[in-house]
Amino acid sequence: MIFEILAIGLIISAILALFLDEVVYSVAALSGIFFFTAIIYALSGSLFAAIFQFAVGVGTLAILFLSSEMLGEKQIKKASPAKTAGLIGAGVVLSLPAIFLSVSTKKNLGIDVDFGEALWNMRGFDVLLQALVILTIALGIAIVLYERRKK
Amino acid sequence: MDFVILALIMLAIGIYGLLTNRQLLKVFISIELIATAATLNFVMLASPHGLGEALLILAFSVDTAVSAVILALLVLVSKRYGTGDLSKIIAEMQENAEKEESEVEAQ
Repeated sequence: MIFEILAIGLIISAILALFLDEVVYSVAALSGIFFFTAIIYALSGSLFAAIFQFAVGVGTLAILFLSSEMLGEKQIKKASPAKTAGLIGAGVVLSLPAIFLSVSTKKNLGIDVDFGEALWNMRGFDVLLQALVILTIALGIAIVLYERRKK
Repeated sequence: MDFVILALIMLAIGIYGLLTNRQLLKVFISIELIATAATLNFVMLASPHGLGEALLILAFSVDTAVSAVILALLVLVSKRYGTGDLSKIIAEMQENAEKEESEVEAQ
């Protein structure tokens, strides 16, 4: 039952994020998407995925709130309750197929490895390269900021 | 409850938003929705195994890098054209292109 409620919440948040007029409200609805997705991951046993989702979501939301403040229009229009209710209703209707229909046939992929084994033994080189790329980006940003400060 | 259908619905909403929204930040939110649908599939199809989560890290890093590039482009375009509305930006770009063409013809 909890997964059904989370699915409905996820679809409603997605629809509100796209169809609300004000960008700040859309970003707030996007936080709902990240929250519901992370809860779904955590309840299905993928705790690492839930933690990553929270971490990435919080970062994205912080930047998006700043961007919406910078780029959005200055006066905030109030969303009409009728439109919001319509969007929520559309979200509930759209989430019904996910609750009542089923297309998944094969759940077991035949691969039985734990997270650490998959990460280090199967994708160790890849993970190190990703860390290197992220480190290079961080260094690049630090250098650019330092050069700007010098000027 | 089927997460593949849930991911499909999310993907459909994201693509619809990508095609119909004129606000740059809404376009970005649509791309985030599409990425969320993809990661949902990654996790739910391989949730009992570690492989899905390990692959998910790659998906998250790609998603974050794409988000950073899109946001940087978005800020640049908004600063240059003074608006976040795609239709206004395209109209201004067309105007600029026409001006450049007429200048070239005049020369």
